[in-house]
Amino acid sequence: MLVSMFLRSFFIQAGWNYERFQNLGFAFCLEPALRRIYPDPARFKAALLRHLAIFNTQPYMASFVLGNIARMEQEASASPSPEAALKNMPGVKQALASSFASIGDRIFWGRLKPMTVQICLLVWAAGGFYGWLLAGMDAQVSAALLLAGPLAGIVFYSAFSVYWRWKGLRAGYTCGGSAACALDSADWPRQIRLLSTAGFAMSLAIVVLSFSLLIAYNRGHVTWHGAAVRLALPVMVLLLHRASRAYGRSVFFAAGVILAASVLLFSLIGLQPFKLYL
Amino acid sequence: MTVLLNTVISSALAGLLNLDAVQAFQFLLSRPAFVGPALGLLNGCPMEGAKIGILLELLYIDFIPVGGVVPPNGTAAAAVGVLAHSAGGLPPSLAFFIGLGAGVAYSSLEYRLRAARSPWNVRVEAQVAAGDFNLSRWLASAMFAESLAMALYVLAWAGAAAAASRLPGLDWLYPGTDFAYSLIPWLGLSGLYFRFRAQVHKKG
Repeated sequence: MLVSMFLRSFFIQAGWNYERFQNLGFAFCLEPALRRIYPDPARFKAALLRHLAIFNTQPYMASFVLGNIARMEQEASASPSPEAALKNMPGVKQALASSFASIGDRIFWGRLKPMTVQICLLVWAAGGFYGWLLAGMDAQVSAALLLAGPLAGIVFYSAFSVYWRWKGLRAGYTCGGSAACALDSADWPRQIRLLSTAGFAMSLAIVVLSFSLLIAYNRGHVTWHGAAVRLALPVMVLLLHRASRAYGRSVFFAAGVILAASVLLFSLIGLQPFKLYL
Repeated sequence: MTVLLNTVISSALAGLLNLDAVQAFQFLLSRPAFVGPALGLLNGCPMEGAKIGILLELLYIDFIPVGGVVPPNGTAAAAVGVLAHSAGGLPPSLAFFIGLGAGVAYSSLEYRLRAARSPWNVRVEAQVAAGDFNLSRWLASAMFAESLAMALYVLAWAGAAAAASRLPGLDWLYPGTDFAYSLIPWLGLSGLYFRFRAQVHKKG
């Protein structure tokens, strides 16, 4: 039953809609448990209809709620007064969905996902590929290396996401019934802090590496004036992004400013463009 | 003929990979960092595909899909970017910015697709109440529709890029787009840096 729910949990967002969010996927994931718990078709139907109500949480952390609700349904079915046992269910479901959404958003979307990009860049750097940074530096690299970067990030990320999908389901099913069930499965604040620190360290390493490459590729090729311009431009881009964020603008605003300024200077006015790297 | 076939296959692949973004698995196979080099390999330009993909990824990573927010679509951006270069014949710099726009524009289509599924709830409830418990066909229909929409969207943009590349005098734009493209890695890196810096300062 748990294995079937686990496999179905990969599709929890397949029917995502604005009226009830993940409700179709949630009912689909819970269906194997409900079939086992309620052999009587009328009770199974009532249970399935119950779980077509609104539901939304972080998709990987939904497993905690699924496990919990499966256990609650199991206990309700064995109870002499199932209505009383089911009375708390919507509240528990909502409370867990909100709590785990907050944790999951911070861990997966806020930290692990950007870390996959960092891993990709570091794998490429380890393999000697800097072509993404050095415009015009098109030394041939193997297709295997080009794919190894993103795949390393995907494997890293998926290891976490699959682990928590399975562990969440088991933990929820083990302690089901309470609005605080499985919230102590990990020291979440510590995990979040660790991931933030690791992500910041990798960001710093990539930025330092990029500036080092900028200096290394220009050293001895340009005058002091040229070097100053080539170093100032990336710094200006960083400051532009910082300013955009401060004024609540997205990164696309900064990209738009860069594109518009470049087209104006080098396409319309006709200034001679130069390369950041020689 | 080969270019056309590759473009159609790439569009279909983009449609399939897009399912990973929200609807199935969520292993990040739909992210531009993977879609770029994968479609680049398929179309004979792995290096350009990897560059376009990772630069789009660096910019798109700024958006978090929390709640009902529909962020710009990275799969559409990378697929259109790569195909605008490989099939459209545009330089990578212009192809990148076209991809960037295509990804942003896709979110309104994605919003409509999600909204179109809201009336399904009443129909699913009626079906279950009538004793038909098969929910999987609704989910399969939703995935098929999203996949098809993405494939057609990418194909349309690739066709538009190919048509645009035939416009006379378009090459006057290239010095500007090339220079802007050379600065994009720094914009992406700054996003990565500021994201984690803010988190470390907030202490979680």
